[in-house]
Amino acid sequence: MSLLNVEDLQAGYGKVQVLFNGHIKVEPGELVGIVGPNGAGKSTFLGAIAGAVKASHGTIEFGGESIRSKNPEDIVRLGLALVPEGRAIFTDLTVNENLRLGLTGRREKSGAQKAIEEVIDLFPVLITHRNHQAGLLSGGQQQQLAIARALVSEPKLLMLDEPSLGLSPTVIQDVFGVLNRIQDQGTAIIVVEQRAHLVMSIAARTLVIREGHVRATLLREDAQDEARLAAAYFGTGEDLE
Amino acid sequence: MIQTILDALSYGGLYGLAALGIGLVFGVMRLVNFAHGELIAIGAYLLIVTIDLGLPISISIAVTGTAILALLMEFSVFKRLRLAEPSVLLIASFGVSVFLQRLYEVIFGALPLSGQIAPWMTGVIEFGDTTITRGSLVTIGLALVLLGGMWFFIEKTTLGLQIRAASSDFQTARLLGVRSNRVIGAAFVFSGVLAAAVAFVLVTQRGSVDPLFGVNITILALVGTVIGGLGSLQGAALGGFAVGTTISLLNSFLGNYRIYTYTWLFILVIIVLLVRPGGLISNKAVKERV
Ligand SMILES: Nc1ncnc2c1ncn2[C@@H]1O[C@H](COP(=O)(O)OP(=O)(O)OP(=O)(O)O)[C@@H](O)[C@H]1O
Ligand SMILES: [Mg+2]
Repeated sequence: MSLLNVEDLQAGYGKVQVLFNGHIKVEPGELVGIVGPNGAGKSTFLGAIAGAVKASHGTIEFGGESIRSKNPEDIVRLGLALVPEGRAIFTDLTVNENLRLGLTGRREKSGAQKAIEEVIDLFPVLITHRNHQAGLLSGGQQQQLAIARALVSEPKLLMLDEPSLGLSPTVIQDVFGVLNRIQDQGTAIIVVEQRAHLVMSIAARTLVIREGHVRATLLREDAQDEARLAAAYFGTGEDLE
Repeated sequence: MIQTILDALSYGGLYGLAALGIGLVFGVMRLVNFAHGELIAIGAYLLIVTIDLGLPISISIAVTGTAILALLMEFSVFKRLRLAEPSVLLIASFGVSVFLQRLYEVIFGALPLSGQIAPWMTGVIEFGDTTITRGSLVTIGLALVLLGGMWFFIEKTTLGLQIRAASSDFQTARLLGVRSNRVIGAAFVFSGVLAAAVAFVLVTQRGSVDPLFGVNITILALVGTVIGGLGSLQGAALGGFAVGTTISLLNSFLGNYRIYTYTWLFILVIIVLLVRPGGLISNKAVKERV
């Protein structure tokens, strides 16, 4: 049984439908990428899965349980965490307070402090800033804090929406390196990215979303094939699915 | 002179409590709750109606009753408007406010209901040549205890942390597991408790309560939350304090011209907002990075 199984998902804002056919399967411990142009509906897709955007149609099963009509605060408690686009850390709170908030979504209330210590070991830059206001961190540090904060809830599936946004190449390498380590610990991951090459270097499978439809699935080997990539990304030529 | 300062501080404390009550609810749901005045009014009614049971029991009933009414507002009206625009919420709170004023009129009558709550508070204490009223000391003490207690709750407890997070970004807070209904409910309960404290001080001063009892202080406390910087809890308390002390000081310095107190107050308010449009304590202390 898949950890996450989404089929035929439709979602939007008010009367405006944005997502027409969202589907994805994620196995435990798997890292899946999602790419697509601006406005394709990637963030809407993740938001609908996490319960932050209302889904009007379709199925979302997580751990065999339907979560489509659940609210975000209950979904995170099932072990599905979303790091939203643009980091969304609480800039007025300290780094430590941000991490403590991440504990809210834990299923087990015991071992909370230990969870914070373990997670912060993954992000050494955060240690020295623990009691500083999070808004004073650099962009890369804020992104790491946002990921760390999601991790302290010990999710089975971590969804990241454009974690590389606004970061320098070296910092991106750091962040993606950590994703590999998180996956090694058995956590499944979905990463949304604009840059196909970046996500295909760590994801075994990468979905392409265009205009609200999942149009293609790329495998790691496809990264070498520029023509195939461009076709999938921009929708020139046949859909690959 | 000492009495002037104490009066200013006690007024400041009183308005600070009122503004914090409004600021708490605004923080978590971007609702400017005009019906906060009717929470203050019900607190005063309950005090006067139950004072024969003795002050401690009367206060307990007033605090509990006010908190319950605050929760009732949330469950019966605001909870159903979670996805509504702030303007819709604002109008709804106007509606609740007017509805409750009429309801009080029906239940308690349109005329002021008087009663003696803690008459000892109007007494004076003499220190040699200077006399000071007990009321101002009690008010200052009450404000210190409640503001201190609220500070501890907001800054040091997990629920307080969740309220701060929800105040700055509710959507993200929910994604982390913060239960919206719990946080909003808590904000309403505490705003009710603070309203009851304000009711206690006001009703001992005035000796009576009428359906519009809480309207004035609510509007002025609202001005305080705006001056302090909407969205910041310290800002709300501080802004309320500033408005209260200013009113009190203007009253003493203007003497016979005190009818101009509010004229001067609002001139000062406009100047403050021109200089600092975001309020004294701007919510975004740190600029967000790209
Ligand atoms: N909160 C919202 N209210 C209304 N429309 C929205 C909202 N968020 C997104 N949209 C619209 O939905 C469409 C898809 O947006 P979405 O953010 O899902 O795209 P995306 O693939 O994540 O784009 P990007 O790469 O720029 O992040 C866009 O046309 C956008 O204008
Ligand atoms: Mg997006």
